[in-house]
Amino acid sequence: MEQEIKLRVSQIEKSFPGVKALDKIDFTVKKGSVHVLCGENGAGKSTLMKIINGIHQPDGGQIFIDEQPVRIGNPIQARNLGISMIFQELNVVPEMTVEENLFLGNLPGKRFGNVDWKEVRRRTTELLKAENLPYSPTTLLKDLTVSDIQMLEIMKAISYKSDIIIMDEPTSAITHEEVEKLFIKIRELKARGVCIIYISHKLDEIFQIADEITVFRDGTVVESHPKEELDIETVISLMVGRKLTNTYPKEAVEIGDTLLKVEKLCGAGGYKDVSFYVRKGEMIGFAGLVGAGRTEVMRSLFGLDPILSGQVYMKGQEVNIRSVEQSIRNGMVMLSEDRRRYGIIPMRSVRENTTLSSLQKVFFRFRYQRKNEHSLVSEMFSKMRVKTPSMETVIASLSGGNQQKVVLAKWMLLNPDVLILDEPTRGIDVGAKYEIYKLMTELVKEGKVVIMVSSELPELIGMCDRIYVMAKGTITGELSRQEFTQEQIMKYATGTTTS
Amino acid sequence: MKKTLLTMVSMLLVTGMLAGCGNSDKVNSANGGEKANSGDKVYKIAYIARAQSDSFAAWLANAVKEEAKKYPDIKLEVFDGQANDDKENSMIENAITNKFDLVIVQPNNGEAQRPYVEKVIKDGKFAITTNARITGIEGASSVDADPYEQAGVNARAALDQIPQNAKVVVLNGPSGNFHADKRRESWQKEFFDKRPDVQIVGEQIANWNKDEAMKYMEDWVQANDKIDAVISMNDNMAAGAVEAVKDNSKFDGMLAYGVDGTLEAFQLIKEGKMTSTCLQNAFELAEKLLDTSSKLLTGAEKQVDTDIGNPLITKDNVDEYIALLEKAEALK
Amino acid sequence: MKEINWSQFWSTFKKTYSIYLVLLALFIVCSFANPNFLSVNNLTNISTQLAVTTILAFGQTLLIISGMLDLSQGSVLALSGVFAVSAYKATGSFTVAIITGIMTGIVCNILNAVMVSTFKTPPFIATLAMLTMARGVALLFTKGQNILQLGDFTVLGQGSIGFVPIPVIFLIIFAVITWYILRHTKFGRSLFAVGGNEEAAVASGINVHKVKYTAFIINGIFVGMAGILFMSRVNAGLPNGAINYEFTALTAAIIGGTSFSGGIGSAGGTLAGAFIVGFLDNIMNLTNVDSYMQQIIRGAIIALAVIYDIRSKNRRTKSTLGRIEDKGSRRKGKGKGITESHK
Repeated sequence: MEQEIKLRVSQIEKSFPGVKALDKIDFTVKKGSVHVLCGENGAGKSTLMKIINGIHQPDGGQIFIDEQPVRIGNPIQARNLGISMIFQELNVVPEMTVEENLFLGNLPGKRFGNVDWKEVRRRTTELLKAENLPYSPTTLLKDLTVSDIQMLEIMKAISYKSDIIIMDEPTSAITHEEVEKLFIKIRELKARGVCIIYISHKLDEIFQIADEITVFRDGTVVESHPKEELDIETVISLMVGRKLTNTYPKEAVEIGDTLLKVEKLCGAGGYKDVSFYVRKGEMIGFAGLVGAGRTEVMRSLFGLDPILSGQVYMKGQEVNIRSVEQSIRNGMVMLSEDRRRYGIIPMRSVRENTTLSSLQKVFFRFRYQRKNEHSLVSEMFSKMRVKTPSMETVIASLSGGNQQKVVLAKWMLLNPDVLILDEPTRGIDVGAKYEIYKLMTELVKEGKVVIMVSSELPELIGMCDRIYVMAKGTITGELSRQEFTQEQIMKYATGTTTS
Repeated sequence: MKKTLLTMVSMLLVTGMLAGCGNSDKVNSANGGEKANSGDKVYKIAYIARAQSDSFAAWLANAVKEEAKKYPDIKLEVFDGQANDDKENSMIENAITNKFDLVIVQPNNGEAQRPYVEKVIKDGKFAITTNARITGIEGASSVDADPYEQAGVNARAALDQIPQNAKVVVLNGPSGNFHADKRRESWQKEFFDKRPDVQIVGEQIANWNKDEAMKYMEDWVQANDKIDAVISMNDNMAAGAVEAVKDNSKFDGMLAYGVDGTLEAFQLIKEGKMTSTCLQNAFELAEKLLDTSSKLLTGAEKQVDTDIGNPLITKDNVDEYIALLEKAEALK
Repeated sequence: MKEINWSQFWSTFKKTYSIYLVLLALFIVCSFANPNFLSVNNLTNISTQLAVTTILAFGQTLLIISGMLDLSQGSVLALSGVFAVSAYKATGSFTVAIITGIMTGIVCNILNAVMVSTFKTPPFIATLAMLTMARGVALLFTKGQNILQLGDFTVLGQGSIGFVPIPVIFLIIFAVITWYILRHTKFGRSLFAVGGNEEAAVASGINVHKVKYTAFIINGIFVGMAGILFMSRVNAGLPNGAINYEFTALTAAIIGGTSFSGGIGSAGGTLAGAFIVGFLDNIMNLTNVDSYMQQIIRGAIIALAVIYDIRSKNRRTKSTLGRIEDKGSRRKGKGKGITESHK
C-alpha cells in the first residue's frame, strides 16, 4: 500500500563552530509509520530532530510538511505545525502537578488573564481517563516514574493534536515492561495516522517497532530502508562504517593466581556476607536486579562508602579501605554508573579530566609539567580512540561515549590491577561500546582484573568468565562460563532458586 | 541571640536584686525611721547605648556609669543596642516592663526609636534622649550637643583661615545620618554660602572611615595640584585625608577641619597637621544627663532640653583636652 | 588537517582574554577622560589602593574556584590587623607583628574550614558567623577604640622600594603566589575539581577535606597579611576598619571571571577584575562623579559581569544534560516504590 509522505526534508545542512553536523540530508517520513533513526552519538540524528522541532535553524535546505514548504523558527511554531518532541531527559519540574505540566505554556485563560483551573482539572481528568492512566491530576511529577512521565508527554503531544511525534531515546531509562507499554502506545498512535520518528541505540527494540530505518553516520544519511530489507548486523555495520566481526570481542586469556579476594563483606548499603574472588586475567560480572546491592558493594570496595565488617585481600595481603585514595593506592579503580555525578568535572577540559587522578605525574619538581601532561593525554586518547576536537575541549561538550572513554582513560593512567566497571556501556552508542569491550579484553590480557556490574545480560554473558548474581544484598549464585544462560541468571536474580 | 539571652537573664537578675534591695530598704525605714527621708527611694535608670562597638558611644556609656556613682539615690544600668534598631527597641520595651523609673536612650536611628520613647512616656516614666536627641516628643527630655554648632564653630573659624579662591575637598558621613547631615548643613550655611570664591574640587561620602577618606584624598591629590583645605564631617576622615598627604611637601600648609575630638585629631592638631576640631565632650554630656535625671526624678522639673558646650579645639588649647581624654582612657 | 578554524580560534581567544580586552579598553577610555589618569603617580596610587582588596580577592578566588567563599574577610582582616599592630607596639618587631597577623588569619580560617568541611555548614553561613565573631573580638580587644601612633610600622603600607610602593610589591607577590598555586600545584588543580564537581573529585581519589582546609588556610594567610598592610597604610589599628571589604574582593573575583558555581577562575582574571574596579573608582573620583552615582555604576558592573558569566557557562555546557538525568533515575527509583504500593 502506498502511504503518502507526511514530512520531507531536503538538502538540510547545519554547522556548529568547528563541526559540520549535517551535510545535505534528505529524508522522508510516511504518514502513520514509525521511522527509526539510528547512528552513533554525534552522527547528527539529534541535530536533525532539533531542526525539525525548531530548536536549531538549518544553514541550508528545506522542510516540507504535506509537501508544503515550511519554516520552523521555534518549538511553538513546530507545535502549531503538528510536531512534538519527547526528549531523552524529560524536562519537567519535579514539584509540578500532572495538570500543571500538561497545560504548561498552554493554560486556558479566563477573561482577565487568570487561569481557569476548573477547566484545567476537567480536561486533565478527561485526558487521563481517555488514556487509561491511573494517577490523579494533582499528583506531583516527582512521584511518577520516568515511564509515567513519558506517557504524560505523549498525552501532551496528543492534546496538541500533533501528527508528527519525535521520540529521542525513549527507552533509555525505563524497564522492560514499561517498554512494552510504550510500544503498545506507539502502535496505537500509528493506527491513528500519527507518524513517529524514533531515535534509539537499542537495536533489538528498533526491529520490534520500526517500519523504516534510516542510518546516520558523520552528519550524512548512509542508507534508508524498510525494516524488512535490513538485519541487526547490517545496521551495525552501516552505523560504524565497518564490519564488526564480533559484538563481544572476548578472547581466551590464561587465568592466574587470585588477585582480589573479598570475604564476608557487610556494608552500609544494606548488603551482607558478600564473598567473592577474582583471579589474574579474569573478567567477572555482577548480575542482579536494580537494588540488589551490586553498586553498593563496589562503592564500598572503592572506599566511597564505609565497610562495616569483612576482609578484603589484594594479592594475598589484607588491605584496609577507608578512602578512595587508599583504594587507588591498592591498585583498584572504579568507573561509576553515574558518569555525570561521579565521573566528570563538567566545565573543565578533557585534558584535566584525564589526569585528575594522576596529578603526581603532571606536577613535580615544584612545577606543572605541561609536556608530560600533553604526552600522557594524547597517548591515552589515541589508545582509547577518544574523539575530541582538542585536548582543551570542555568535557561536557563531548558525546556520552567519548566522555566515558575519557573517564576510563583517567583510570588507565593509573595502571590499576583491578578495574571495577559499573554499567560501563549505559547510554553510549554501539561503536563506543565495542571499543570499551575491546579495551576490557586488552586489560585482562595484561593480567589485570575486570569486575563488571551490568544490567544488560547479553554483555555479561558475552564478556565475562564468571558471573556472580546478587539479590537483596547477598550473592545468590555463581556461574561459570559454561553455565551462562539468561534464564539461569534471572532465576538467581529473582531468588526463585536457592543455590 | 545568645547575647540577647544573656542581657535578658542579667536584667532579670538585676531586677531581682533591686527588688531585694528595695525590700531591705523598707525594712530599714520601718525599723529605723531616721534614714527614711534621705534613703527611702532608689531610682532605677536604664541607659540604652547605641552600640558599645562605637568608640564615642562606648566613651559616653562609661562616663555615664561613672557619673551615676555620684548620685547615691540612683542606680543605673547600661544596655547595648548593638547598632541595631530592633535590638535597641526591644531593650526600651524591656526597660518599661522591668519598671525602670527613667530611660535614657542614645538612638541608633532617631525615627526608629521615637515610638518606643513615646511608649515610655505613655507608661508614666521619664525619658531622656541624647546624642542625638529625638525632637518633638511630648514629655520627653533631651540632652545633646548641637551638631550644627559643632561644625559651625569650625566653619566660622575657617572663614578667616581659608584663603581667597581656595580649592577645598569635603568628606561626608553616611547620608541620612542626623549628625552627618546637620554638620554638612552647618558648613554650607556658615561657610560656603558666605565664601562663594571657594571651590569644592571633590566631595564624597567616606562613611566616617579613615581608610575610605584616605583613598578619596589620594585620588583627589592626583587630580588637583593644590588643595587648600579638607573639610571633614568627623575627625577620623580628616585624619585619613591628612595621612594621604603626610609625606607630600606640596600639601604642607593644608588646612584640615574635623568634628568629634578624638585623641588622634588632638595629636594631629598638636603636630600642626590638622587645624581644628570641636569636642563632643562625653563627660559633659554624662554630667548633664545625670543632673537632668535627678531633676526629673525628684520632681524639680517636668521636662528639660539642654545642650552642652561646643569647644573649638586648636593648637592653642589642645593640651588641656588631651589631658581630658587621658582621663577618659583611664575610665576603661 | 592543520587548518586554522578562525571562528573557533576567536571563541577560545574571547573566552580566555576578553577580560584583559575590557581592562585595556577601560584604560584607554580613562586616559582620554582625564589627563591626570595616565600619570605615573596616579597609576602607582591606584595600585597601592588596590593592594589590600586584591590580596583578599585572590583568597576569594581560591575559595570560589573550589565552590566556597569567605564573608569574614573584612572582619578577620581587622582582627589580624589590630593584633599585629598591638604586637608591634609591644615588641617593636616586624617579624612578631607579621607572624601575629598571619597566625590570626590562619586560626580564624581554620575555624571556617572546620565549620565548612567537617561540619558541612554552607560556607555562606559559616563565614557569616565568623564575620560577626571576628569583629566582636577585635572590638572587645580594643574596647572599640582606634590604636594610634604606630611609628615605623607604617613603612609596610606607606613606604616604597625604589619607585615601587611596598603594598604594590606585596600585591605582585600574592598575585604570583596565586598564579603559581592555580597553575603549578596539584592542590591548585584539585581546587578546580572540587569546585567543579565535588562528588567526582572524591571518586577520583582527591582528598576533599584536605583541599578545603588548605584553601581556607591560604586564604587566612592572605587575609592576615592584608590586615597588616591595611593598618600600616592608615597608620592606625582600626577595629572597625575594612567593613565590607569582602564584597569588594568578591566583586573583583567575579568581574575577573571566577565562576560562582565553582570550577572556573584565574589569578590573572581576578587581578584584571580588581583593576577594572580600581580604574573605574579612580576615574570617577578624578572627574568628581557624585557618590550616589558611583554606587549605581559599581552595581551595574557587577550585574553585567555575572550575566556574562552565566551566559558563557550556558554556552559552555549547553550540550550537557546536567543533573536532569540524575533526577530522572532517582525519580524512577522512588516511583517504583509508589507504583508497587498502588498494587
